[in-house]
Amino acid sequence: MQSRYNDYFGEFGGRYVAEVLRGPLDELQEAFCAALEDPEFQADLERVRDQFIGRPTPLLHAANTSNELGGAQIYVKLEGLANTGAHKINNAVGQALLAKRMGKRRVIAETGAGQHGVATAAVCATLGLECTIYMGVVDRRRQRPNVFWMELYGAQVVSVTSGAQTLKDAVNEALRDWAASFDDTHYLIGSALGPSPFPDMVREFQAVVGRETRQQLAERRLTPDALVACVGGGSNAIGFFEPYLEATRPRLIGVEAGGRGIETGEHAARMLGLGRTGILHGYKSKFLLSEDGQVALTHSVSAGLDYPGIGPQLAHLGEAGRVEFRRASDAHALEALRTFARNEGVIFALESAHAAATALDLAPELSPENVIVINMSGRGDKDLFITARELEPEAWKAFLSEEEASL
Amino acid sequence: MSTVPIMAHMVSHYPDRETSLAVARALLDAGVAYLEVQFPFSDPSADGPVIQQASTVALANGFKVEDGFELLAEITAEAEVPVYLMTYASLVVSRGVEAFCRAAAEAGVAGLIVPDLPFDYDEGLYAAGSAAGLDVVPVVVATIAEKRLAEILARRPQSLYVALRSGITGSETVLDSASLEFLDRLRADGCRVFGGFGVRRREQVEELAPHLDAVVVGSQLVRTLSSALENPDEPQSAAPGVEVVGSRGANGANGRGSESTEAIRAVPPAARAAAVGAVRAAATELVSGSGSGTH
Repeated sequence: MQSRYNDYFGEFGGRYVAEVLRGPLDELQEAFCAALEDPEFQADLERVRDQFIGRPTPLLHAANTSNELGGAQIYVKLEGLANTGAHKINNAVGQALLAKRMGKRRVIAETGAGQHGVATAAVCATLGLECTIYMGVVDRRRQRPNVFWMELYGAQVVSVTSGAQTLKDAVNEALRDWAASFDDTHYLIGSALGPSPFPDMVREFQAVVGRETRQQLAERRLTPDALVACVGGGSNAIGFFEPYLEATRPRLIGVEAGGRGIETGEHAARMLGLGRTGILHGYKSKFLLSEDGQVALTHSVSAGLDYPGIGPQLAHLGEAGRVEFRRASDAHALEALRTFARNEGVIFALESAHAAATALDLAPELSPENVIVINMSGRGDKDLFITARELEPEAWKAFLSEEEASL
Repeated sequence: MSTVPIMAHMVSHYPDRETSLAVARALLDAGVAYLEVQFPFSDPSADGPVIQQASTVALANGFKVEDGFELLAEITAEAEVPVYLMTYASLVVSRGVEAFCRAAAEAGVAGLIVPDLPFDYDEGLYAAGSAAGLDVVPVVVATIAEKRLAEILARRPQSLYVALRSGITGSETVLDSASLEFLDRLRADGCRVFGGFGVRRREQVEELAPHLDAVVVGSQLVRTLSSALENPDEPQSAAPGVEVVGSRGANGANGRGSESTEAIRAVPPAARAAAVGAVRAAATELVSGSGSGTH
């Protein structure tokens, strides 16, 4: 069995933080390891998963798409049907329960697409924790509906105007807050990255996705040939892949944001030779950096993939060859979103649509007895303002004008 | 009023090379005991909004690490006091830890401060720094676990840098007796002790000086410079006493937005002279207590 606390994954990971954060991280590591061994904590987690998250989430056979392509059978883990619309809730629940167990009264988090912020705000509402969410103003603009939800849940949403004003800058602000507030505050990081023990902790809380999928496949006597997940920081991917990391099969495929095309420089793909080994946000991994080590600007149509680093365990698994990396462009992701909506009645989040796009490419390469499983880590409701503008610009503009006129 | 040893902080190439060289000279003229030059990093998460904004401007104006070493060589050639280089792990490991240390030593730097490369996750910094003849300075906090502090002290560092409050640079420091006792303990151990974070007034300097080898003044001097550059017509004499909000979680956590990044692109000579003069006055006040604000 793999260890639950690793610190390093090959050369990646670690705890590269200023001394002020060292104590809180040591405390967190101890509390996390103890909680995992505590049946009472596990029972709490199970109860919240059952009653609040809505687990298990379904595993859908995308029969129409599979037949149309004539290749592998495509299955979709509908993780986006979890409460608050994405896999983010799994980690938020786990860490928030841990925070309560540690006696913290306040939770802070960063958010990019807003899904982690929404999940954290919702969990804090139900557990009675004060909640502050840091969000770059660029992300705030493109994911405005999620800001509305976070505030409705009672969270304070702080706009981050420093740096590039996106997810990485929100992480910086959250780290600053935590350095001054750790006595009573837990930093609920949203992806499988950051200083240890966060990568291990987030993987453990997200592993429920992979374990459930494996069980659902087994119940249908199916053996997966490939698992496909999008990778920003990589929390949905590492949780989805977790039960299979020690095995040699199935193929594990991580899909990065190809943005407007690698040649344009406007993307968020760190693997396949594009990223450099560096240290940012407390961990060592592959990052998009200048030669000097300055963090590069990234682009993706999906805010959740618009981050310059990849979780250290995925970087290691990529270098070791266990996880294959591919890319999907903005356009490719939007096309996949349309395909699954029409064929299957399922609307992917733009992030997850990158995984869908790659699965649509992969399926025809395989035969009908093969099985591909996509993790639809989020559903697409939150992206309405982006998707509608991209796919039906004129109709959307007319609608917005009418709305404004009616106000 | 007696002079006290100050470690004055500045950001290399903020807002441009010429101004930052003039700032270095002004700080040295003011009689600081140590100069701490920070290489701008895009994501300085251990710094507050003032230093982040200065770094953002320097980077927008094209700062390269090579330029930083070149400027340092010029500063150290003139300086009669030790010059320390502060930056983040990303810049150090991107160049290669050994190459970075060699370049720093060649630039005449006395030591390195890299807060996100603690001794047990240092990527070889302490060994490489030592080989290059550099004083690699561990950053510690008063809340550090005894066991960790003992491990650091067992490595016999020449100097220690104490972050005097939990949190980020540029916020108000409240000096409690526990912090002062912590400093005294460290010095009793034979280390040279620098301490700062949030020091902005002469009274704080005077209170701290007996407990330290040098009082680090960082954000306050950068803030003096940035205020003078942004508001060239306003007098800066009150700078050392200025109170700026730096509390956690407030909406103002990020300070100025990117708009001002563009605003400081070209510094007219008169504005530069005035801004550098403001920094000189602020540093002189902190070092010597001359001018306004003595008690």
